[in-house]
Amino acid sequence: MSEVQRRKYSQEEKNSIFDGEFMPHIDSMYNFAYRLTFDEDDAKDLVQDTYLKSYRFINSFEQGTNAKAWLFRILKNSFINEYRKKSKQPAKVDYQEVETYYNSDDVDFQGTTDLRAESVKDMLGDEISNALNSLAVDFRTVIILCDLEGFTYEEMAKILDIPIGTVRSRLHRARNLLKEKLKGYAQHMGYKTDEEE
Amino acid sequence: MDMNEEKSGARKLRCDDTSKCFELLESILDGELGNPGKEVLKEKLAKCQPCFEHFHLEQAIREVLKNKCTKQAVPQELAKTIREKIQEAK
Repeated sequence: MSEVQRRKYSQEEKNSIFDGEFMPHIDSMYNFAYRLTFDEDDAKDLVQDTYLKSYRFINSFEQGTNAKAWLFRILKNSFINEYRKKSKQPAKVDYQEVETYYNSDDVDFQGTTDLRAESVKDMLGDEISNALNSLAVDFRTVIILCDLEGFTYEEMAKILDIPIGTVRSRLHRARNLLKEKLKGYAQHMGYKTDEEE
Repeated sequence: MDMNEEKSGARKLRCDDTSKCFELLESILDGELGNPGKEVLKEKLAKCQPCFEHFHLEQAIREVLKNKCTKQAVPQELAKTIREKIQEAK
């Protein structure tokens, strides 16, 4: 949220922005919140807090800019500052440690023949969902923002406060990790992978 | 004759730099490289088997993620509660 207040909206304008530009994103906001917290009540509180903040700071929202990205940024910051501590997740993952570790070429996904597009298409929603949920929160977040919500790299950089280059490399690593998980499911469920042939 | 034809149309089976190529393919799939990206993609898909397979796998994963991970039902009363809280705060 920018501290600079660009202008003051009238009460009528505030209501119109809130109803017309903020509220239509409630489904995406809830889905994001749920995938961060894994808890319906926490997700509800997180979305509610985000909307209350968005109304309180509405003067720092510039009309015509991307409201959804603005809201997602507030939600993500609220999650880090308030919910991460109390949510039922494992301890906070150190960004740098994760980035450095997965920066090694050793963990690059070796060849796509290990996992087939056909196997992925046959997978159930639960398997895909569990694979996504099992990723560390920073990797999970970039996949949600990019693949589920369709944000551009530039929007993601703003939402996450990281450079675009980091968005690109974190996404690549996140996808490699996701493919490893999916490969595990594919083998476990008896889907065809080349390793079994 | 047939062999020759097949050879000239075949994709190479090894990619020289999968890490770089796959990251590039992912950026193209994410729509980040615009029209020039489409040209690069066309060439890679025509010439390189690992890139071809990676592209289709990535596409399949994106599709299942979008179709199967965005259906979390929003609690019915949430929007109403938010509006009430904002009325109170006004």
